[in-house]
Amino acid sequence: MKEGKTKREVLADRVYYVQRIVAILAAALIFFPAASPSRICAMINKNLSLFTSGISYGSLTAEMGRAFNRGWLSEGTMALLCAASVVMLLGIAAAGAGGCMSLGNLKFKKLGNLFSLGGVAGQILGLVLIYVSYQQVLGSSSVDRVGPMFPGGYIVYLILAVLLLVSSIAIQFMLPKPEADSEYEMESRFKLFLIFLPFAALCFVFSYLPLWGWRYAFFDYSAGGTLSMDNFVGFKWFTSLFQSQATKADVVRVLRNTLAMSGLGIATSWCAMAFAIFLNEIKNIRFRRFVQTFTTIPNFISWVLVYAIAFAIFSTDGFVNTAAVQLGMLAEGATGTNYLMDASHIWLKMLFWGMWKGIGWSAIIYIAGISGIDQQLYEAATVDGAGRFAKMWHVTLPGLIPTYCVMLLMSVANILSNGMDQYMVFSNKVNMDTIQVLDLYVYTLGITNGNIPLSTVFGMVKSIISVILLFAANGISKAVRGESIV
Amino acid sequence: MAKTKQEKQDLKAEKAYEKTHKPKWQLTPGNIVFNILNYAFYTIFTLSCIFPFYYLFINTISDNDLVRKGQVTLLPKGINVQNYIAMLNVSDLGNAFIVSIARTLLGTALMVAATALVGYLVTKQELWHRKFWYRFLVITMYFNAGTIPWYLNMSMLGLTNHFAAYIIPGIVAPYNIILVKTYIESIPAELEESALIDGAGFLTVFRRIIWPLSKPILATIAIFGAVGHWNSFTDSLILMQSAPSLYTLQHRLYIYLNQNSNIAQMMNAGGSGILPTMSTKVLKYTISMVTVIPILLVYPFMQRYFEKGIMLGAVKG
Repeated sequence: MKEGKTKREVLADRVYYVQRIVAILAAALIFFPAASPSRICAMINKNLSLFTSGISYGSLTAEMGRAFNRGWLSEGTMALLCAASVVMLLGIAAAGAGGCMSLGNLKFKKLGNLFSLGGVAGQILGLVLIYVSYQQVLGSSSVDRVGPMFPGGYIVYLILAVLLLVSSIAIQFMLPKPEADSEYEMESRFKLFLIFLPFAALCFVFSYLPLWGWRYAFFDYSAGGTLSMDNFVGFKWFTSLFQSQATKADVVRVLRNTLAMSGLGIATSWCAMAFAIFLNEIKNIRFRRFVQTFTTIPNFISWVLVYAIAFAIFSTDGFVNTAAVQLGMLAEGATGTNYLMDASHIWLKMLFWGMWKGIGWSAIIYIAGISGIDQQLYEAATVDGAGRFAKMWHVTLPGLIPTYCVMLLMSVANILSNGMDQYMVFSNKVNMDTIQVLDLYVYTLGITNGNIPLSTVFGMVKSIISVILLFAANGISKAVRGESIV
Repeated sequence: MAKTKQEKQDLKAEKAYEKTHKPKWQLTPGNIVFNILNYAFYTIFTLSCIFPFYYLFINTISDNDLVRKGQVTLLPKGINVQNYIAMLNVSDLGNAFIVSIARTLLGTALMVAATALVGYLVTKQELWHRKFWYRFLVITMYFNAGTIPWYLNMSMLGLTNHFAAYIIPGIVAPYNIILVKTYIESIPAELEESALIDGAGFLTVFRRIIWPLSKPILATIAIFGAVGHWNSFTDSLILMQSAPSLYTLQHRLYIYLNQNSNIAQMMNAGGSGILPTMSTKVLKYTISMVTVIPILLVYPFMQRYFEKGIMLGAVKG
C-alpha cells in the first residue's frame, strides 16, 4: 500500500495529525468548565462545562429564576444558548467520528473528511449562535446584575474550529479520488483500537483526570471560587503542615492513629495463616465446610452493616445488656452501658472488628495454598519421625510463607490507606481523637469543613508515599524472591 | 436440601482428596487436648459470625412489647412479620432500596460486558500499541489522586447528585480486566483461529466463542462487582450531598443508625400511624435486616465462585 502513495497523500498524512489532535482536544475540552464557551454571563454556574450546558438546561439556568421573573434575561436567550451548546457538541462528535474514520482506507478517509467538514460547520454554527445569545445578554435591561462576560473558552474553540476547517479543506483537496469499485476497509489493528478507544477514554477520565485536581493544592481556593494568579500561593499549604501548630497537632494525631491501626493489622496478619493451618487439622469435612462457609459471610457485608451488628450487640439495649439483665447482673429497668460510646482501647476494638470481618476470607488463599503442598513432604517428615505439630511447623508453615510474604508486602505498601468506611461508621464524638485515620481526616477536612487545598495536599502526599512504598515493596520482593508482586 | 450436580461432584472430589491427604496422627493426650481446643475455637468463632444475624432476625420477628422489655435474647417470642410489612410504607427506605438494586444490576451488567470485551481486546496482538494500552489500564490500580481531587473531578463532570455517578466510573475495572485477560489466554487458541478461518469477524468471535467460554470468570467478577455495588456507601455519602432521593440503602441505614431521637414516633407523626408498636431499636434492626437479607440470599450461589476468583487473583497477567 505504502509504495503507491503520491506526494499529495504523504502530505495529507501529515495534515491528518493536526486534524486528529484538534479533534481530540475539542472532544476533551467539552468536560472542562474553564474551557466552556457557553459561560456568557456571571449568572451561569462557573462549574458548568460545555457538555453539561448542552445536556442539562436545568443546571444551565439553575441560578436564573429571579432573572427570568424580573425580565433581566429572556428564557429564549438561554434556550438559544443551550441549543447552541448542543449544536457544538454534535459538531465535535461528528469531527471525532471523522477522525476515527481517517484510520481506514481511502474511501473511508473521504467519508471521514465529510464528517469532519460537517462537524466543523456545526461547531461554527454553534459558536455563531452563542455569540448571538451573548449579544442578547449584553442588551439585557439590567446589565450589571446579569454580568455578561466573554468566555475565554470561546476563543479556544474558535481557534480549534478554524484549525479544523483549514485542515479538513486541505485534506479534501489532497486526497485523490478512490477507485469506483473499492469498499470501506480498515486495518484490523485500527479497528480493534477504535473498539478499545471508548474504554481508554473512560479510564482516562476517571483515573487520570483527577490528578488534574492536584493543582488546587497550590491555590488559596474555597468551594465555588476560581483559580487565578491572584490566589496562587505556591507551597504555602505544604509548609503549613509543619508551621501551623494546629495542623501539626492534627497531622501527628492522625498519623499516629493510622500507623497504629495499620501496624496492628500487619502485626496480626499471620492470624489468617494460623486460622487456615489449624482449620486444616480438623478431620471432619462437613464441619470444616461449615466453618468456612459461615466465617466468610462477614466479608461480604458492608461496614455500615458491621456497625449495625455492633449496635445490636453492644448498644444500651443491645444483646449484652439484655442478657445481663436476664442473668441478674444488671437491675431490671436500669440503663445499660453503651459500649460503642466508650473511647478506651479503640485501636484494639477496630482490630477486632477488622479480624471478625476479614479473617475467614483471608484464610481462603492459605487453605488453597495448603492443598497445593506436595504430600511427599509430609510422608518424608513422617518417616523422619515428625509428629503432628512438627509437620505443621516444618512442612505446612514453610509452604505458606511465600504467599504470606506477598500479602505482607502488599499491606506494608498500603499502610497509609486503611480506608475510611470502618472508622467513619464507628466514629462518634467520644472516640474521634483516637479513631480518626488519614482517610477519614481528609474526608472531614475537605468535604465537611470545605478546606479543599489542604485536603488535596494530604491526598497528594499520601498517594506519592504509597506509590513509593509499593515500588519499594516490589523491589524487596524482586531482590529476595526474584518475583515481582505488582 | 437438594444438591446440584456440581456440588455433588465437588464433594466427591473433596472426599477423594481427603483419602490421600488424611492427616495421620495418634491419639496421644496432647493431640486429644489440641483437638478439643481446636474444635471449640472454630465452633465459637463460627457462632460469633452467625449469632448477630440471628439475634437481629429474632428481634424483628418477635412481639415488639416483649422486645422492648428485653425478653428476647435467644429465642423469638410471639412471631409475626408486621415490622417488615411496616417497612413497605417507609418511603425513603423503599426509594433507597430501588436505587441500590438499580445500581447493582445496571452497574454490574455494564462492568461485566465492558470487562469481557476489553479483556479480550488486550489479548489481541494486532491491537494498535497493545502493550502501551494494557499498561495504561493496569497502572491505574496503583495510584490514586485522593478523595478530594476525585470529588472535584466528579463535580466538574457534572456527576454529583446524579445517578450515573454510581455506574459510569465503575465500568472500566482494571483488576477484573486482568482476571479476564488471564482467563481468556488460557482458552485454546485453535478455537478462535478456526472461527477466524471460517470468516468470522472480531465481534462474532467474541460473542460466539470468547463470551460463552469465559462464563465462569465472568460469573466471578459479576459477583464481586455486585457485592461491591450493594455495599458501597462512601460514594453516596460524598457525591449525593444534595440529592437524598439518590442515597443508597447503606447510606440510609447509616443515617437511621445514627439517629437518636425516636424515629418511629417521628414517622408516625408524619405518616398514617403505621408503626404503632415499633421502638427505635426495632426499627433500626429491621432496616439492618432488609439491607443484609439480599446478601444472605445470594451468598450460597456466590460461594462456589469466589474461591475460584481469589485463586485466579493470585495469578497475575
